Amino acid sequence: MFDSTIVSGILTIIIGVGGMLAYFWLSNLVLDKVIFPPKGKNIGRNINRANAVRPWLFTFPAIFALGLYLVVPVFYSIWLSVTSGVAQDGWYRNYEQIFLNQTFRVSLLNNLLWVLVVPAASTFFGLIAAQLTDRLSWGNIAKSLIFMPMAISFVGASLIWSFVYHPDMDIGVINAIRGLFGAEDGVTLIDGQVIDSFLLMVVLIWIQTGFAMVILSAALRGVPEDTVEAAIIDGANPFQVFFRIKVPQIRGTIMVVWTTITILVLKVYDIVAAMGNQYRNLEILPTQMMQYFDAGNYGFATAISVVIMILVLPVMFWNIRQARAEMR
Amino acid sequence: MKKTLYSGAAILALAAGSAQAQELIFPVGEGDFAWDSYNAFADEYDLSGQTLTISGPWIGDDRDLVDTVFAYFEEATGATVEYAGSDAFESEIRRASQTGGLPNMAVIPQPGLLADLAAAGDVAPLTDEDAAWIEENYAAGQSWVDLATSENEQAGGEALNGFFYKVDVKSLVWYSPPVFEELGYEVPETMEELLALSEQAVEDGFAPWCIGLGSGDATGWPATDWVEDIMLRTQSLDTYDAWVSNELPFDSEEVVNAIETFGEFALNEDFTGMSGAEIVNTDFRDSPDGVFEIPPQCLMHRQASFIPTFFPEDAEYDFFYFPAFESEDLGSPVLGAGTVWAITDENEASRAMIEFLKTPVAHEVWMSQSGFLTPHNGVNTELYANDTLRGMGEILLNATSFRFDASDLMPSEIGAGAFWTGMVEYLRTGDAQAEAASIQSAWDAIK
Repeated sequence: MFDSTIVSGILTIIIGVGGMLAYFWLSNLVLDKVIFPPKGKNIGRNINRANAVRPWLFTFPAIFALGLYLVVPVFYSIWLSVTSGVAQDGWYRNYEQIFLNQTFRVSLLNNLLWVLVVPAASTFFGLIAAQLTDRLSWGNIAKSLIFMPMAISFVGASLIWSFVYHPDMDIGVINAIRGLFGAEDGVTLIDGQVIDSFLLMVVLIWIQTGFAMVILSAALRGVPEDTVEAAIIDGANPFQVFFRIKVPQIRGTIMVVWTTITILVLKVYDIVAAMGNQYRNLEILPTQMMQYFDAGNYGFATAISVVIMILVLPVMFWNIRQARAEMR
Repeated sequence: MKKTLYSGAAILALAAGSAQAQELIFPVGEGDFAWDSYNAFADEYDLSGQTLTISGPWIGDDRDLVDTVFAYFEEATGATVEYAGSDAFESEIRRASQTGGLPNMAVIPQPGLLADLAAAGDVAPLTDEDAAWIEENYAAGQSWVDLATSENEQAGGEALNGFFYKVDVKSLVWYSPPVFEELGYEVPETMEELLALSEQAVEDGFAPWCIGLGSGDATGWPATDWVEDIMLRTQSLDTYDAWVSNELPFDSEEVVNAIETFGEFALNEDFTGMSGAEIVNTDFRDSPDGVFEIPPQCLMHRQASFIPTFFPEDAEYDFFYFPAFESEDLGSPVLGAGTVWAITDENEASRAMIEFLKTPVAHEVWMSQSGFLTPHNGVNTELYANDTLRGMGEILLNATSFRFDASDLMPSEIGAGAFWTGMVEYLRTGDAQAEAASIQSAWDAIK
């Protein structure tokens, strides 16, 4: 049967795609026929100018959307963080209050732990997996298995791991294994200790290892064979070939993978929200931000979002620089 | 040609949407319902073709139940009700308030949230006639008006922002009568007797209490009800009110004592058979199940009147009033809460819904099923589905000292944030003083 959402979806696609086609067609028409017509005495200059303007016509919708949905909110957030809530008594007050807050400091520390552990572990496991699966006859199957968690949403993955950690021995895999070794009662693995953060990090490492593996595997294949052969002829063992010859040659790619995951980690919210419940010790900056947002305290929420942005920015610049260097 | 095709499809789609309207669960005119009020309402309104969007916290069984009430509204007016329920309703309505997309009406479980929305200009004020109607027709009517009255940006001053409908009584302890009979236990009349009974249960090899704090984003709230009930049983009403407004700091001795009294129940592993962390990880909807298992995992569950909705299907249950300390001489206070309807994006149908909620039928349809109490004194209390509900309805109608859930009245950052987290952390650390201080510092930060 017809469903109004399907119908409106189809209509949206038709209008959207049609609108875009019409935009490009019309704007090029105006450019070529009206503004810089390729005729008359300036024909050469007009063609060159039209070609200089054309890329901007094509990128304008993207630039406009990006500006509207990304740049404007950033400035609005900064504005709110210095004017809203307690900032009415002084622009810095929201920042002062969040830094005085014990929970915020715990979140900052937890975020630091996440940033140190998750990208390193994901990249490391991804690199190892890429190298090991390369030589196996069933390497592609192994690769698919490792890559599969990438297709699962963060909340879905959190749910899966909540079952793994479940205190009930009939549900939780870990407690079931303990049971095999004679344990009588299930233990509650996530109970608000700082150390539990690592249990949550496992979820993200599980998801991101596949991503790291795929990129690094491609990079490893790009390592020139003659350098490897030369090393083997010189008597290098497999470990030396891997760590001394291959890894240095793909260092740029490793760095891009590393920084990409770092940026993701600084934004991760779902896993802690889904698994950490309300434990103060497991908070990270984005969960803190969402709690303030939900409570309607936009001053604190935007102040935290600005802090997150400041933390992400250097990593992002570095990531872009590395990626550009790679492309050269 | 194409145009006609699309509009044809669109019309079909709309028709398919409205064909879902439910059949009426009780035929109009049959039974002791106040059908006159319904017929009078139906005669007055014709909203055919209009749609009323509502969002609220009711999901699962409650959603099915409220749909049976909406069916009467749809039948009477010809309008279509589109209800969206969510267990993260509080966050979602705030997001909608910031980014647009508010429904026509919102069913709000927290007066603090209602006040925030009204102050932000998202709530259309109700009229003086509405306020007068509530004062006249609701038991303790003035208190319901006061609870929903605050600064309203659209009204440019104080206004009545919402209409209470579906009220909960919280000071209740649920148990299984066959189990009590089997063990020879009597329903306790005082807190002293209740504690003695708990000790007795431990001696007999049972954990007396089932407690669960898990509630997704809202984990921790069931503990706040415990603390509030204990505050009412250890402190005067004035002290309670001072606590709600933070004139009495959260980390003062009175509050810390109440938290520690809660700890005497929840942090006593003999009483609950669980560690604090396990209590936090147990969903509040699942936590009463142990009462009805054979053999029972636990004997008693302190929870509000809505909880039987989540009991196992064939559960035999009864309740008693969470008693007061005989030694304290504070009477028999009742803690409660309720959902309040607000018009967040006004249209003709939303005003009609407020009028519909005034009809006894709108209350009777739900109360004759399950999990619904009302302070509306025009309803036929004979229609309550069972004696349990009727008993609670009477507690509500006869309340001498009635106090609204404190956490729902505090700024939502505290009442729906720091207080919840604080209670979760208290079950983990057992340090009431530190957690109370932390909640107070969160409160200081937003002043």
